Amino acid sequence: MPAALRPPALGVLAALLALLLGACGISAGGGHGSDDAEGSTSAAPPLADVEPIADVRSWEGEKIAVPRDELDPVAENPAQDLPATVTDSQGTRVKITDASRVLALDVYGTLSRTVHELGLGDTLIGRDVSTQFAGTEDLPLVTQNGHDLNAEAILGLDPTLIITDTSLGPWDVVLQMRDAGIPVVVVDSHRGLDNVVSLTNEVAAALGVPAEGKKLAERIQAEVDAIVEQIAAVAPADQGQRLRTVFLYVRGQSGVYYMFGEGSGADSLIDAIGAYDVAEEIGWNGMKPLTDEGLIAAQPDLVLMMSKGLDSAGGVDGLLERLPALAETPAGQHRRFVAMEDSEILGFGPATASVLDALAVAVYAPDAIK
Amino acid sequence: MSATTVPVTPVRATLRGVVARVGLLGGLTVALAVILVLSAGTGQLDIPRDEVLGSLLHKIGLDLGPVPSHPQGENTLWQVRFPRVVMAAIAGAALATAGALMQGVFGNPLAEPGVVGVSSGAAVAAAAVIVFGWTFAGSWTVALCAFLGGLLTTTLVYLMSRDGGRTEVVTLVLTGIALNAMTSAGLAFMMFLGDTQAREEIVFWQLGSLNGSRWEYVGVVAPLALVGIVAAMLLAPKLDLLALGDRAARHVGVDVERLRIGTIVVVAVLTAAAVSFCGIIAFVGLVVPHLIRLIAGPGHRLLVPASALGGAVLLVAADLWARTAVEYADLPIGMLTSLIGGPFFFWLLRRARRTAGGWA
Repeated sequence: MPAALRPPALGVLAALLALLLGACGISAGGGHGSDDAEGSTSAAPPLADVEPIADVRSWEGEKIAVPRDELDPVAENPAQDLPATVTDSQGTRVKITDASRVLALDVYGTLSRTVHELGLGDTLIGRDVSTQFAGTEDLPLVTQNGHDLNAEAILGLDPTLIITDTSLGPWDVVLQMRDAGIPVVVVDSHRGLDNVVSLTNEVAAALGVPAEGKKLAERIQAEVDAIVEQIAAVAPADQGQRLRTVFLYVRGQSGVYYMFGEGSGADSLIDAIGAYDVAEEIGWNGMKPLTDEGLIAAQPDLVLMMSKGLDSAGGVDGLLERLPALAETPAGQHRRFVAMEDSEILGFGPATASVLDALAVAVYAPDAIK
Repeated sequence: MSATTVPVTPVRATLRGVVARVGLLGGLTVALAVILVLSAGTGQLDIPRDEVLGSLLHKIGLDLGPVPSHPQGENTLWQVRFPRVVMAAIAGAALATAGALMQGVFGNPLAEPGVVGVSSGAAVAAAAVIVFGWTFAGSWTVALCAFLGGLLTTTLVYLMSRDGGRTEVVTLVLTGIALNAMTSAGLAFMMFLGDTQAREEIVFWQLGSLNGSRWEYVGVVAPLALVGIVAAMLLAPKLDLLALGDRAARHVGVDVERLRIGTIVVVAVLTAAAVSFCGIIAFVGLVVPHLIRLIAGPGHRLLVPASALGGAVLLVAADLWARTAVEYADLPIGMLTSLIGGPFFFWLLRRARRTAGGWA
């Protein structure tokens, strides 16, 4: 058979392949830690301290809104009332006897932040990719690219409690943790202003610190109420005068973009900053890809984005070049883009008020952001 | 596939056949045992080999050797690593056997569940289960629907790519393109319908992964694969006769149509077994039977069991790499097998073109 591949050729092929695979393996490891690119942008001043501009509609330029990230636990290593039995958001009854080694994992890093604010930051033994607040840098990362869980890696950390939601997968890995006898509390996956309080309480109940949970939830609610009131004072009272706003999720330069609508968290964000929610107007729900003409028809005055998403599209210039439809909207013409760190903008945890504050400053007093 | 036969006396040929058979199957069994042990003893959670062995011995009632010292070691081995290794072996065996059967029944070296779209047909049905949340058959729902999807696509391939009693390379490949296009459209539509979690799962299907294998799933896949492989071995002698051509096979008493239909059902069972919980792992069914043929020739009686063993060896080894290459992460195994299988497919295409005298 003349066509058979000779052994030396096969060997060379195998060696080449091994080399290629090896290279892939190494380069895939260093995916994290590029969040220093925005180092020049400092945190936004409080809305209360700045002078809103007179005409928000004609102001031109993009802004990166950086929330003042103040860690302020409500207690310091509070006593945990354990064992506790909780019924999680899926109706599973979970008995927790030990919450000294905790993994709190979700796509926005909200849960681990909540654990920290409850005063139990020291119990965290690993983190998801979105958990980046001070003191967590050295924790092992158990989600390689934001949503992939690895069973052996998690078990290797020997957690005694896992708090997560359904935003990370594969779901089977979560089930494997249960098979292995580790209590897994699945909290509500929805993130929005409407459930910050209940989410905080869910996490606190699992950790056996319901009193601290109540305290933290009340504090978050009070802070949010206060900032929403401040925003209401600067935002136009008339709905028709408010900035028509969309939340666009853009990744890379492929021209694919999603508009976030009802139930995505973006809806309550837009309402809270006193803007007009275009997605609500057209009855858009969830996270779905948007067509160019749909975007033009929406005529947004303002676009909210995730800052890494904006970077990956090549900044505002790249985005307008890539998406000519965006250039046909008032937001594109005025370069009215407000971006915030991916893990913060839709997180809705203890940092909600500072997120709203920073976004409001970027919208109503953009000159105040350096 | 025409084998170049050297004239030998029948007795010597039979003897040589028996030796080759025992040698190859024995060698593959040893290889499988070695890779299973190696794989079971290696993972992201560092458990020394003697502790792995100790844990196994304790489980079967022998109090020998140390048990894992890591507090979650025992759980990791029994709830995460062992089911995954077993799943890899079963899926690999099922896929390779399905490949060998398909090549036999189509009389075409390029037939393979992944290439001609059977795997993705099964995956579409499985995705529908996820998106619509069907649970009518408990944990068997996904497997059942994957089987139906696989059966439908295999039958479609069979009906569309055969003409005048034979399957031409070009027709088969083109049928595969058309089917893969249809099934990826189906998957894309499921992604559009599904919520974020369903989307994640569908992506996982498309890439193929053994992450998250549980005993519950092994319990579904193992009987399916076992039934499929046993059926394949029973069909193997008849497939040898079929290789002589439909007419010759009929003359020696083979009910050709029944054989074909039976084989298609078995292929669908085997593909569903592999796809229902592991997603689309392409090219295993292509590479393994061809490698076995290079060593042992085209006889199905040896090819089918040897492919099952070889497929298990290949997938366990590939999965070992997929789950240990990057810390804390899992590489999609379907990506890995395609990376190796793709070039192999090119080579087969070129070879088929030369030996079949062009694009007949």
